[in-house]
Formats: sequence, C-alpha cells, structure tokens
Amino acid sequence: MSVLQELVAGLGAPDFSVVVPEIIILLTAFTIFAIELFTKARFLISVITVFGLLLAGIVIPFTPEGETFYGLYQVDTFSLTFKFFLVMTSFFVVIIMRPYLEAKNTYYGEYYYLLLFSLLGMMMMVSSPNLITFYVGIELASISMYILAGMYRKDYLSKEGAFKYLIMGGTGTALISYGIALIYGRTGSFDFSTIATSITSGNLDVGAVGGLAILLIGLALKASSVPFHFWTPDAYQGATTPITAFMAVAAKIATFAVILKIMVEAFPFAYPVWTLGWALLAAASMIFGNFVALRQDNVKRMLAYSSIAHSGYILAALASPTDFAFTALIFYSLVYIFMGLGGFIFLSAMERQYGWSNHINDFKGLAKRSPVMALFMLVYMFSMLGIPPTVGFFGKLGVFIALIGSNIWWLAVVLVVMSIISAGYYLRIVIYMYMHEPTSKARFNFSLGEAFALAFMATFILILGIYPTLFWDISGYLTAVLLQNIGK
Amino acid sequence: MTVEFVNATFPIITVSILIPLIAAGVVFFTDEKHAKPISIITSIIVFILSTFMLFTYDYSTYAIQFYEKYSWIPFLGVSYEVGVDALSLTMVWLTAISFVAAFVWSTNIQKRIKEYFIAFLILEAACIGVFVSWDMVWFYIFWEAMLIPMFLIIGVWGYAERIYAATKFFIYTFFGSLFLLIGVVGMYIYQFVEKGILSTSYFDLVNLGLPFRLEIIFFLLLALGFAIKVPMWPFHTWLPAAHVQAPTAGSVILAAVLLKMGTYGFVRFSLPWFPEASKYFVPVMFALGVIAIIYTAMMAIAQTHIKRLIAYSSVSHMGFVTLGTFALNMEGMNGAIITMISHGFTSAALFLAAGFIYERVHSYEIKDLGGLARFMPVFATLFMISAMASAGLPGLSGFVGEFLALLGTFKASVITAVLAGLSLVVGAGYTLWLYHKAMFKESELPNEKIEKWEKLKDMNTAELLSFLPLVIMMFVIGIYPAWWIRLIETTSAAILSKFIGG
Repeated sequence: MSVLQELVAGLGAPDFSVVVPEIIILLTAFTIFAIELFTKARFLISVITVFGLLLAGIVIPFTPEGETFYGLYQVDTFSLTFKFFLVMTSFFVVIIMRPYLEAKNTYYGEYYYLLLFSLLGMMMMVSSPNLITFYVGIELASISMYILAGMYRKDYLSKEGAFKYLIMGGTGTALISYGIALIYGRTGSFDFSTIATSITSGNLDVGAVGGLAILLIGLALKASSVPFHFWTPDAYQGATTPITAFMAVAAKIATFAVILKIMVEAFPFAYPVWTLGWALLAAASMIFGNFVALRQDNVKRMLAYSSIAHSGYILAALASPTDFAFTALIFYSLVYIFMGLGGFIFLSAMERQYGWSNHINDFKGLAKRSPVMALFMLVYMFSMLGIPPTVGFFGKLGVFIALIGSNIWWLAVVLVVMSIISAGYYLRIVIYMYMHEPTSKARFNFSLGEAFALAFMATFILILGIYPTLFWDISGYLTAVLLQNIGK
Repeated sequence: MTVEFVNATFPIITVSILIPLIAAGVVFFTDEKHAKPISIITSIIVFILSTFMLFTYDYSTYAIQFYEKYSWIPFLGVSYEVGVDALSLTMVWLTAISFVAAFVWSTNIQKRIKEYFIAFLILEAACIGVFVSWDMVWFYIFWEAMLIPMFLIIGVWGYAERIYAATKFFIYTFFGSLFLLIGVVGMYIYQFVEKGILSTSYFDLVNLGLPFRLEIIFFLLLALGFAIKVPMWPFHTWLPAAHVQAPTAGSVILAAVLLKMGTYGFVRFSLPWFPEASKYFVPVMFALGVIAIIYTAMMAIAQTHIKRLIAYSSVSHMGFVTLGTFALNMEGMNGAIITMISHGFTSAALFLAAGFIYERVHSYEIKDLGGLARFMPVFATLFMISAMASAGLPGLSGFVGEFLALLGTFKASVITAVLAGLSLVVGAGYTLWLYHKAMFKESELPNEKIEKWEKLKDMNTAELLSFLPLVIMMFVIGIYPAWWIRLIETTSAAILSKFIGG
C-alpha cells in the first residue's frame, strides 16, 4: 500500500462531482494556454473560451451540493448562484473582447486564460467555508487581475493603473492575511463556524476585534470602498475596457458575496463591531464617489467613480444586520451586474469607433447617430440612478427599506441625498446624447457580440424593473441558505 | 375606513395603461410616417375607454370600481392593485382628453418624430398609472417613470434654454419624490413593526392609526414631495422655466396633468392618512395657498412672455386647489376637484393658444403681438373663451371650482377666503390684459405688422380639433356642474370621512 493509497483510505477520496464547473474552467484555461503556444488562431481561442464558459454555466445548475476537499470547499446554493452569475459575466466580457483588443492592437492570448484563472479564483472565494480557501481564492483572482489590468502594453496609463492596483491590492491581501492570523490566534481556527462558536462563547476581545477590523479594511480595499479606493479610478481607466467591465462587475460581485458570507457566517454575533464599520465605509463611498464623479469629463473614469458609489449603496445594507438587509445586498449585487456590464460594454463597443475617446463631448448627439445604442445607454444610466421602471430602483429601495427598518435614518438620508447628487452626472450623459447636436457624422459598426450583450443587459434591466419578483425570491432564498449555515 | 371593491369584469384599466406602451413599441419598430396616426388612434382609444368608465361608474355609493389586484412581489408584500374612484376617474379622464389634444396638436411636429411620439406615449401610460394605482410601489414607479419622458420632451424638443429647464425640472421633482419615498417606506416599516402586516397597499396604510408625532413627520415628508409637484410657493421656481422651454404639447401635459399629480397626492394621501396632522397644518397650508395665489398672480402681471404668464397663473390656480383641499369640508373638496379638472382644460387650451401664436408670429413676447383678433377670428373666439374660463367668468368651468373652493375656505377661515377672493380680481386682470394686448389694440398697430398679420392663416383642422373638446368641456362644466359634482360627491365624502364623520 502506497502512502497515497493510505491517505485516501484514511480521509476518503475527495468528491470531485461538486467542483465540476471549476474543473471545466480550469481545463479550458489550460487548453487555451497550450493552444496559444502553437497557434495564433484568435477566433479559435475565443470560441474555446466561450464554449468552456457556456459548458460551465450549463453544468452549474446541475451540480450537486456538498463539501469536498476535507471540508475546505463548500458548495451550496449560495455559492452556485454566485458562480452562475460570475460565469455569465465572464461570458459577456469574452464575447465582446476580441473586436476591442484587435481594434486597439493589443491582442494577446493571455487575456483569455488569465481571465479564466481570475474567474476560478472568484469561484473559490464564494464557496469557501474557511478563511484559507477564501485567501487562496482572492489571491488567485487578484494576481490574475493585476496582470490583466496592465496588459494594455502600449498605454502608459494602463501600466500606472496596474502598478497602483498591484501595490494597493497587495496591501489589501497583506492586511487580510494579518487579520486572519489574529483571528486564528484568538479562536484557533480558520473555519467560519468554529470562529463563530468561539466568538459567541465570549472570545470577542481585543485580539478578535482587531483581527476582524483589519480583515474588514482589507475587504473594503478589495471592494474599492472609500477611503481605500485609490487604485480604482486609475486601474479601471487604464485597463482595456472589457477588462474594466470584468473588474468592475465580476470582481465586485464576488467580493460582496464573500464579505457577506464572512460577516454573517464567521462573525454573526459581532454585529456591533462590523455594522458600524461598514456603515461608515458605505457613507464615505457614496459621498466621495458621487461628488468626484460629478467633476469627471472622461466617461470611463466617471463610471469608475460611479462604481465606487455603487459599492457604497451595496455595502450600506451591511449596516443593518437583518435577513432583509442581506437579501437586499444580494439583490443589489445581482442586479448591479446588468447595469455595470451594460455601461462598460457600451464604452468598450464605442471605443472601437473612429475618433472616440470616452470624453463626454463624444456623446454629443449620439441619439441621432445611433438611436438604439443611445436608448440602451439611457436605460443603464437611469437604472444606475435608480428611476423606475428600471431595476436599479428596486436595488436602492431594498437597501433603503433595510436601513429604515433598522432605524439607521442617517445612512438612509445619505443614500437618498447622494442619489439626487448622482442625477447630476448620469443625466449629463443623457443630455449630451439626446439634447446636443452631433459633431461628427461617422457611422458606427458593432459586432454581433456587442449588440447582443448590450441588448441583453438593457432588456433584462427593464424586465427585472417590472418583474423583480424572481430576483427577490432568489435573494431571499440565498439569505435563508446563509442563515441556515449558522444554524439560525 | 373600510372600502368596498367592485372587481373589473374586463381589465379595462390595465388595458388603458398597456395600450400606449404597446403603441410606443410599435412606433419604435415602424416607419416614421406611421408614428402620428398610431399615436392619435391610441390616445383616442384610451379616451374612449376612460369615457366608458366615466359613464359606467356607479356614483351612488363609494366603492373602488374596475378593481384589479394581483400578487406581484410577495417577498415585499407588493401587489399590482389598480382601480378607480371618482377622483381617480376624473383625473384619468382629464389625462386621456389632454393627451388627445396634445397628440392631435403634435401633427405639426417635424423634428425627430418617432422619439417624440414614443416619449409622449410612455408619458401617457405613466400618467394614467399614477392616478389608478392603489399600491404604493406601483404608484411610485409611475410617479417616477413619468420623469424620464418628460425630461426628454423638455430637453430635446424645447426652446433655447431647454437643457437647463429640463435638468431643473428633473432634479427638483426627483428630490421631492425621494422624500415621498422616505415617508412611504417609513410608514411601511411602521406597519410591519406595529401590526405585522407586510403590505404596500393604500388600504392597509390608511388604517394605520399613527401616533400624532409620527403623523406630523410623515405628513411633512409626503407634503414636500407633493408640494414640489403642485408646485406650491416657494417650490414653484422649476415650473416657469419648464413651461417656457417645453414644446407646446409638453406644456399642455405639464399643466393639465402633471401639476394635478401633486394636488391629487394631497387629496388622496395626505388627508386620509394623516387626519390629525392635516388639521394641525391647516393654517400653514392656507398661508402657503394664499401666498401662492397672491404672489404668483402679481408675478403673472409682470410677465411679458405669454407662456411664463400662463405658468404663473397655473401656480396661482393651484393655490385655490390647496385652499379647497385643506378647508376640510365638502364644498372645499368638491371645489378643489372641480378646479383641478377645470384648470386642466383651461391651462391646456391657453398653452395651445400660446403655441398657436408662436407658430405664426414666432415669438412669445407680448409686445410683438397685437391686433391678431381681426385676422384670425376663429382662434380669437376660442382663445377668448379659454381666457375667460381661466379668469373665472360665471358660466364657464373656472368659476364653479374656484367659487366652491372659496366657499369652503370661507367656512373654515374668513380672512383667508377674503384674501384669496380679492386676488381673483388680479387674476381676471392679467388674463384680460394678456388677451387685450395680444389680440386687440388694432389702432396702435404699425403698418408692417398689419401686412405681416394679413398673411397669417386662421386655425387649421388639427388645431381646431385639439382645441374644441377642451372648450366644449369648459362650457359643460360651467353650465351644468351638478353632473360632475354628483359624480365626485361620494368620493369627497369618503376622503373627508375622518374629518366630518360621514
């Protein structure tokens, strides 16, 4: 009997059936890695990626739930749902990526497999039942993204952004690992449920609180919450726009999911510590993000600040530790996918056009040059602003109800006032598109992928805006799963 | 307050909301030249539907009729709940007729035709939705959704300062409606905490029995949202800007329908939900109403721009609605509702007249006009009737509503009624003055103007058709108001049931 056999016999063979989606993503990444060495057939590479993502997306609903890798990996409805949306996001990014990269003359095969590695990291993050798996996942996701952010090699801004991202992101992971170490020192475990038990039984002292606070700062940095947001505008602006979409949506969603999971599962009874912390971070993000976005003329940068503001709206839900608030957070995260992707994919599609520089002046008269595209952008903008009948309204409404329900009026008022301020810059885009005369008559052309992605996002925003019930039910169910994990 | 419901055998209200939306989709995908006929036919269908409701509505007892309710987001306790009482019905009918006028008028539009009609069709659906929703989330959805098309209408098809006006309009009303949202969510949470009911239905919230302190807070939050929409002094500054810059049809809808949403909100929500707070704030509302009436009437006198003058007069007329509403008696309430509908007709007609003048003379400045009556007799007649109705000449619609509103106010507070009544004179003054300067004064007319005027054509068919229904209605309500008062009487009584015990 070999040592290996002995090990397997002792611990039991890990159950691979629950990680089939991850395996598919990993294999796809390796396949591209290998193919890319021998062939430069760009079409083939993107087709394989799309195929892999589609396959993973199809497999996810049929993946059984359960634990594997000796309790280090947990697959439940919560993680599967988020995995599905992460894969979906990546799918849309991949189908619009190739035309953009070719137009910008910065095509490299690395984009595809790094994106998949990053996706894999995020999938690990959302199915981690303990801090170690989470840490490995976030590192895999982040490191792949540092490279992705800097891959616009001819562009100085991209390097600057990626470097900032690397430094700040590195600081974030360092903080996270330090926080984890402190928590481990106090509770003797990485496991969420053990930490929760230990803290409940009275171990919430300086060590645990300090660890939690440092972990919280690290997570806030990853979620680009003010005052740890400095990398965000530069990294978002510098990266190629499809990658920006990926960072602004997929990375954010995974981070929100994991923040929720850690806060609820590992620190369920340390509410007084983290609710106030998140409330302050959320308020700062909303205020700063919206005010700075007002002053931007570069729309990509404006959307970067707007995504900081949206982090604020989403994290605000954590100020109120109730089932309803968690549901609102999940709902807002899920619907933010559609708005965020819509906005950035729109920019990605436009940047390929002749003479487009993302400056607000380029938006002049867009409604005349391309009525359908302008209509889509109008939908995304009003959704981010939160005007019904777009789904953005229900996102904000959910958070808002949660805050008032917990009597946190000050944050609710900040949210409302900041929504009004944000009208300033979202409306500006609509005004430039609809109420100014076009400065150029050049025709646009869009690839099939771009047209499909944009139409999909806009349609979904409107459908969900009129019938949000499905997503409310999903979010409510996921909250129930989360709370079930802590036996509540 | 217990309310009876009469379920709809046919979902007529839902259909009236859906038809414009479907038509908007059709216009989007068809050729530009079909946009006008499709829109006009759609608005006429909606008008027929609402007229059908008007004539089959049973006014003998108070009940929510044509009622439909479907569960929508059980998680939040939200349902899709629509129905009409006489107040809603009046507003829906006013909306329908105003949109017919606006669409028929808009046959002259040349710029970006498709988008124009799509925006108006969506606006129509949202406006109807506001008046028929009994679920607060749906109410808010329609209330806000209306901002998007109106913002585009002012901003795209308006005049020189249109972007400023559109932005001001949007941000002002968005600001107000978010406070409305805070208030409604606060009540929703209170209801859940105190009674364990998870519901956004009007009929649950109306029986909340709030403590006085909370009533005051929620009243103020909601009142801010409504007061901006009305607009009441001192929140009225967006209105002249928006009216001056909006295209004619946009002004018509803005004055005839959108302003009514604010007063509708006061009548529908503030009074039944916060009876104690409403009583408490009567002096404040009276003061604001009187200031609105007098101050804006004075402002109107000083205007040289026709549309700005009419806009200020609108604020002034809305002051009467505020007074009537907060008089908290039957006369006042009936007067408020009649004034709402009558102002819908008169202001719509006056804005159409302003647009008519602009199309021919290409100026809104009163000094550029004069002596038009001799050259366009038909127009002059219709304009005269509308102006008289607006000024409150007996026999026309304006008189009935304002008289009743004043009567109600007089019962509540003599001094308020006297002050408001005096300003009627000012109101008559600026309207007549406008008419006199624009249409008469032939003797002072320089020769080049006469030459120019002689080439002008009187009303064409489209203009006449959009004008006539409004003018006819002014007569109908003015001469036989009893019909409409009988329609709304049970509703007024129900709304005031917490004040006068009926």
